[in-house]
Amino acid sequence: MLARNTFSRLGLGLGVRSPIASFSRSIFTVKATPAEENSILVAQRKNRPVSPHLQIYEKQLTAVFSALHRITGVGLAVGFYAVTVSYAAGIVDSASLLSLYSSIPVAGQYALKALASFPFAFHAWNGVRHLIWDAGHEANIKGVYRTGYAVLGLTIVSALALLFA
Amino acid sequence: MFAPGIRSTKSLTSSINISIAKRGLFKTIPQPPGNIIGTVNDAYVPPPSNKLHGSAHWTFERFVTIGMAPLIISPFITGTAPLDSAMAGLLLYHCYAGFQSCIIDYIPKRVYGSLHTAAMLLLTFGTFVAGYGVYKIENEEKDGVFGLLKKLWVN
Repeated sequence: MLARNTFSRLGLGLGVRSPIASFSRSIFTVKATPAEENSILVAQRKNRPVSPHLQIYEKQLTAVFSALHRITGVGLAVGFYAVTVSYAAGIVDSASLLSLYSSIPVAGQYALKALASFPFAFHAWNGVRHLIWDAGHEANIKGVYRTGYAVLGLTIVSALALLFA
Repeated sequence: MFAPGIRSTKSLTSSINISIAKRGLFKTIPQPPGNIIGTVNDAYVPPPSNKLHGSAHWTFERFVTIGMAPLIISPFITGTAPLDSAMAGLLLYHCYAGFQSCIIDYIPKRVYGSLHTAAMLLLTFGTFVAGYGVYKIENEEKDGVFGLLKKLWVN
C-alpha cells in the first residue's frame, strides 16, 4: 500500500490502479484437480493449428531434388525387385524377357529406356552428392545449389548418353 | 475469461482420445492431440538400447554406397560386368535399406502398430526371394544381372 501510494505520487504508477483493478475484477478462478487441469490442456492442444501441408511451399531445387531422390530410388528398387522376384519364381527367364522386350515397338522401347535411364542417372549422381555431404563437404546453401545444378547437368548428359548408347 | 475453454472441455472430455480415428484404408492407432503424451513436466524416457539399432546402420549403409560407386561405373568402362554378384548383393542391400526407410517414414509403428511390423517382415521376405532370384540369375546367365540388363538394353 505504501509502495503503491508512493509510486502514484511520483507519477510512476504506470496506470497501476485503474487497469489492474478492472482486470482483476473480471478474473475468476476455478478449483481444478490435476486430472482436470490435464484435460483442459489436452482440449487446448486440439485447438492448436496443424502445420501447413507441403504443397503450400514454393518449389525449390533442394526440396524437389530430395523428393525426386526418394521417388527415383523407390522406382528403380521396385523394378529390381520385380525382375529378380519373378526370376526367382520362375515366371521369367532371360529368353522370355528378351522376347517380351523385342515385342514392344521401338518408340516404346525408348520410352522404357528413358524411364530407366533418367531416374538411374539422377539417383546415382544425387547419391554421390549425398556422399559428399556425408563426408562433411558442401553442406551449406551455396554448396547445396552448386552440387544440385551439377547433378542436374550430369543427369541430363549421362541419361541421354545411356538412352542412345 | 476461462469459461468458454472450460465449457468446451467438459463436452470434449469423452472424445479426447479419438482425434485421428482413421487414416486411409487401414485402421490406425489413435494419436493424442498434438501428438503429446502426458505433460511437459514428465521426464524423457529414452527408448531401450538395442545392439541391433543405432548409428552403425547409417555407417554401414554409407560403406555399401561407397562400394557401389566403382562397381556401377566399371561395366560402362570395361563393357563387361566384373564382380557382378558383388554389385547385385550390394544393390539388394541398398534397396532393402531404402525400402526400410520408406516403411519407417510412411508406415510408422506409432500409428500403424502391427501393420508396420508386417510390412517389415514382408520386405524381409521379399528381399530373400529377390536374393534367390539374383542367385539364380548369377548361375543361369553368363554375365549375371547386369549382363542380362545390358542384353536387353542394346537388344
